[in-house]
Amino acid sequence: MSSFKRKTSTKQGENPSGTKLLPGSSSVLIASTGIPSLDDILGGGLPLTCLQVILAPDAHTGYGELVQKYFLSQGLASGQDICVIHDHPRNFVEGSMWLPVSSAHAADDDQEEKTEGDDAKIKIAWRYEQMKKFQTTVTSSDQSGDNFHKVFDLTSKMPALVIDNAVAKKQLTFLDIPSLEERPIRRVLEQINELLGPEETEPSVRKPLRICVPSFGAPVWGDVEPKDLCYFLYTLRSMLQRHRHACASVSLPSYLSEESWGGPGWINKLGWFSDACISLSAFSANPSLSAIFPSYHGFVHIHSLPAPLALVPPSDKYSSLRGLSSSGENNLAFKCMRKRLVFETLHLDLEGGVSERRTT
Amino acid sequence: MSDSSIPTLPPPGQILLVTDELASPADFILYRSLAAHFKGAAGKSTSARCLVVSVSGNLAKWKAVLTKSNVNLTQLIASRSLVFLDVASTHFTPEHDSAATSLRPIYDQIRGALLEGEDTLVILDDLSSLEWIGTPGIEVARFTRAVCALCRKSNVMLVLRQHVITHGELDDLLRLLLQLCTYRVDVFPLSSGRSGSVSGQIALHLGAGRRETDFRPIPRSRALLYRLTDVSSIFFERGTGAGVL
Repeated sequence: MSSFKRKTSTKQGENPSGTKLLPGSSSVLIASTGIPSLDDILGGGLPLTCLQVILAPDAHTGYGELVQKYFLSQGLASGQDICVIHDHPRNFVEGSMWLPVSSAHAADDDQEEKTEGDDAKIKIAWRYEQMKKFQTTVTSSDQSGDNFHKVFDLTSKMPALVIDNAVAKKQLTFLDIPSLEERPIRRVLEQINELLGPEETEPSVRKPLRICVPSFGAPVWGDVEPKDLCYFLYTLRSMLQRHRHACASVSLPSYLSEESWGGPGWINKLGWFSDACISLSAFSANPSLSAIFPSYHGFVHIHSLPAPLALVPPSDKYSSLRGLSSSGENNLAFKCMRKRLVFETLHLDLEGGVSERRTT
Repeated sequence: MSDSSIPTLPPPGQILLVTDELASPADFILYRSLAAHFKGAAGKSTSARCLVVSVSGNLAKWKAVLTKSNVNLTQLIASRSLVFLDVASTHFTPEHDSAATSLRPIYDQIRGALLEGEDTLVILDDLSSLEWIGTPGIEVARFTRAVCALCRKSNVMLVLRQHVITHGELDDLLRLLLQLCTYRVDVFPLSSGRSGSVSGQIALHLGAGRRETDFRPIPRSRALLYRLTDVSSIFFERGTGAGVL
């Protein structure tokens, strides 16, 4: 046995809790959004100092708020600090998802996937037996030692004990929206500024802070105009860039997520003022789309992606869902299953639909 | 070479307008101009100076990208050859009133930073955000006109950036900028959407009433294609692979 000792990288343990380095970079830290397929779209995760805006133009569903719940559950599970800005923040957090009740449940597939497993037992040509199943999405392996990403179960609600502990330890902060004030947006920005603390220029070793704003611009925020929302996002993003340990996720209510509210170019403005801007356009209001795509619940439109320290967003190189490294970009869709929300590539169904397939 | 068909810097005392869209951001044009300015001045007698007025901030990104082009911003800032003005941290803090903020302090800072007899470049990134966050359109227009006049008088190169959010339509501020600029570098996305190998297209237009001098205009129909890499951007003609495709 030689005396040669391999120098193991000690940087692994030095990253702030729940973060890891962006692949291909030595200074950008990323945090998980709680949804592995969304992390893949963003290029590995949401980088610290970045602002994510989720738009959900469908008025009948709440996918924007669902993404926010994943964001805050992931933060709590990873041991990071979270700030929730909402008119009833405690209620919002109580409705969030949590880790599966037991590890056995975590290993179970959903009902739909079980039936697909049964189909696999039918005989297929020998040359195809070795091929992997066609993958439309990215899943994560839940390594229990890994603090970066945890697998959440939508059927499991966040225990009140976890919330109480987090509030007592000052890990979870609630910021109420001061609706009696004249300009709630300015007051909320001041409170966020106090919470962020002193400015930094170097990458931070402080505990990461997640700022979660579900339904930003809802009526409780007062009479908002497009310029007020733009001002908030602009100032928030600038604060995040000066305090390098935080990231933020904002979702807009349905009526604000449409071009018709803010005028022509409204969605583009939101894209310019945020680092990652994604629209989840659900099919629930459009029966013809639900019929054409029965296995999906909505389209995913990407308006902008985070590129914190580079010309090209890392997602272009590292995202397997977007598929830019192979050829043109894939169309993306999302689907809310019983236990999780999944983003996947959109494929047209068999011509005529499965129910109309002729056998004669 | 296609790279030389797009001007990196305007002639001294002239204005280069860069417009872009969300799917094809033109950050790389600004970084290219800054790098060309400092590298070009290496052989000259006067020292190069640059003032970057960044509405969207993020000095860290400028430093990180330009390090890959061998331009050390930290050193330039320390030697006062580069002044980086982060508008968000100095003029738009949470205590400020969101509406009706005067842009006069920013103008005064620009004027204060220009010195006589120096080879100076001013980069203003970007004007549209100022208008979108609530500064009245007339204030932004006056500010733009004042900065353009100041740069002309001081024989300083000016690069302005403006975002276009409604494809093919002009808003009032863009109409004004087209009157003032010498060249317009028009960066727009491919009509078929994003591609792995082509990031977007660039066209070059002359400003209103200008004569063609060093650079021939490139209409949108014959636009150059560009591809962004980690380090820089590569331009190539449409219909040619040029080692990129």
